[in-house]
Amino acid sequence: MKKRGFGYGCIFYGTGYGNGFPDISRSIAELDTKGHINIYVGATEVGQGAKTILGQIAAEALDVPVEIVTLIHEDTSITPDAGTAAASRQTYNTGNAVKISAEELKKEIIVVAKGLLNEDHLEISNGVIRSNTSDKTLTLKDIAEASGGGFLRKDGIFQANTTEMDPETGQGNPYWPYTINAYAVEVEVDTTTGIVDIIRAACSQDVGRAINPSLVEGQIDGGFAMGLGYAIFEDINLDKGRIKHNRFTNYLIPTALDMPEIEKIIVEDPESTGPFGAKGIGEPVMIAAAPAILNAIYDAVGVRLTEIPVTPEKLLKALKKREG
Amino acid sequence: MKKNLEVVGKSVIRVDGFSKVTGKATYSQDLTMDNMLWGKTLRSTKPHANIKLNLTKAEVIPGVVRILTYKDVPHNHHGVVFKDHEVLSSGRVRSIGTPIAFVVAETEKIAVEAMKAIEVEYQELEAVFDPVEAMKEDAPKVHENGNLLYHYKLRLGDVDAAFKECAVIVENQYKTSMVDHAFLQPEAGIAYLEEDMVVVCAATQYPHFDQLEIAEALEVPTEKVKVLNPAVGGAFGGREDITMQIHLALASKLTGRPVKTVYSREESFVAHSKRHPMIMSYKTGADKNGKLIAMEAKIVGDTGAYASWAINVLRKAGVHATGPYEIPNVKVDSYAVYTNNPFAGAMRGFGATQTPIGHEQQMDMLAEKLNMNPLEIRFLNALKKGSKTATGQILEESFPLKECLEVLEKAFKKDAKGVE
Repeated sequence: MKKRGFGYGCIFYGTGYGNGFPDISRSIAELDTKGHINIYVGATEVGQGAKTILGQIAAEALDVPVEIVTLIHEDTSITPDAGTAAASRQTYNTGNAVKISAEELKKEIIVVAKGLLNEDHLEISNGVIRSNTSDKTLTLKDIAEASGGGFLRKDGIFQANTTEMDPETGQGNPYWPYTINAYAVEVEVDTTTGIVDIIRAACSQDVGRAINPSLVEGQIDGGFAMGLGYAIFEDINLDKGRIKHNRFTNYLIPTALDMPEIEKIIVEDPESTGPFGAKGIGEPVMIAAAPAILNAIYDAVGVRLTEIPVTPEKLLKALKKREG
Repeated sequence: MKKNLEVVGKSVIRVDGFSKVTGKATYSQDLTMDNMLWGKTLRSTKPHANIKLNLTKAEVIPGVVRILTYKDVPHNHHGVVFKDHEVLSSGRVRSIGTPIAFVVAETEKIAVEAMKAIEVEYQELEAVFDPVEAMKEDAPKVHENGNLLYHYKLRLGDVDAAFKECAVIVENQYKTSMVDHAFLQPEAGIAYLEEDMVVVCAATQYPHFDQLEIAEALEVPTEKVKVLNPAVGGAFGGREDITMQIHLALASKLTGRPVKTVYSREESFVAHSKRHPMIMSYKTGADKNGKLIAMEAKIVGDTGAYASWAINVLRKAGVHATGPYEIPNVKVDSYAVYTNNPFAGAMRGFGATQTPIGHEQQMDMLAEKLNMNPLEIRFLNALKKGSKTATGQILEESFPLKECLEVLEKAFKKDAKGVE
């Protein structure tokens, strides 16, 4: 028999290294000789979108078209240390460092422009330096050429706010900020085979502010898939320290066919310490999926599975046990 | 001043997308160089043993250039927190998959042949695979200082007194599995020399830390090591700990030639960290209205043979054990324990992925006992701006859990079939 059920999962997640460990990101913003912006930062693009969204943050801070911003992050000899691409920290932490370096570069560009135009009230708008009091303009290439043919470079550094907890009581402020989400799923359980099918899901995700909504949605899709695998498929299956499931013929991960339609809801509540209000989401998006699925399985068939993954064998055994 | 955001909030097309979907992106597998050698890693096949190596048969195979062992490593230690991994084992292996030797040969085929020709004599030691067993006094010791690596304590209020006040209490034990990151791109890398600088190209998630660890192991100044990080096919924490980076750097330095290695999927499974399996005992109590009063949790995490990030992961599990709820009386003890299992480390969620398997089922069970809706009990107990967490942290801003629940409720009801 096929039975359906609903379940919810809510989580919070402290981003950053935590517990007082110095969580520092560094960035260099540069105006090159062509009038383009280069951001040097040791933040790895692991697929999460760092290379794209850090460019957006720089473009926004400088008020230049995003197309003229290039992220350079692939070489330790020319990039400053921006910490690890982990702990959901690159958007928040390195995003702040990039923003600071871009703002500093912007100030420097204005200083050079003031000298060239002999005017005091200047701003950058969509990559063009404009006077507020006359119709004089300059391009970024003009600034680059005027600064001796060299490069204008400015540093940015950001350190997250975290304190070490008391070793006896665990009291303290280990993380900031916290990212939150709430997921809901509907499952269909086949009580004959023990197979769980995820029918549909809705995911509401706190992001502070979404730097790039499509990339947020992509993270939710990927995170949900990983959480689904955690709930019902994945186990390396250890036997006396040996991994028995060591390839994809026996270590099962979800495919597109296992994925339900997901309604993704981005909840914006800008965080004042985040770059344009943004928080990290890379890990949180994965976490609420598995508990929501477990609760939905209970709702469908009335048995609690306290051990994951809920394989068909485990589920059938639990159903049988209940029937006595 | 600017009024509106122009670029932030726009779904700019990802800048690395085109090269990745068209196959043009360069991954470390794709790199080849003139005069390049191939490396293969010999790994332990026993979970706990003293070993002796005999290289005689392997060394004479034509095309074998060099076989690196621990004797070739200037500083034979690495690790993200404790330096408890050996670059190559100096005589005792603590898990299956521990690197023992790195064979460098003219071709990949010869490297594999030579790796198989190395004779390893294993003197097996008693091993322990269950973290609860490993915590006992008489358990086999994985490391000299004992198997208990870390104990995090969280104390708020008085749980014993508070449980007496509860109208309902639920108590359960939860278990999570050891899982793999299953990133698309197995580990691969190439190292070469640029004058007196060693250059390592490898898929990593923290190139500057790799640079430090390579420099330490080779005992060279940091600026004599350069890490290049081409396209990375996913990481999820599995590329935090060093895998082949030091082997490659050392091999290139000692042979003077470029050296490449590529792991198969099977080797990838044993080479990098795993998610900590956890055994979590939860006791949660609420008053008759569903308001949470007390929670007690004991969490045992299996870190396998090496520490990696275990301290930070079990601490994070402890901090997040309550879930996003306000509970005035909380007691959490989380433990990181060594076993002879594959080592566990960073993986997406870092300890806070395991605990919701417990706390979220506890919430539903309490709701059922109280005849409440699962959403209702969550709304009632949700942390919000201004709340205090179990660690005493005041949530000074942005904590929109209730907002997340409200929109979720609307979205999920909207097209629900068969529910009100």
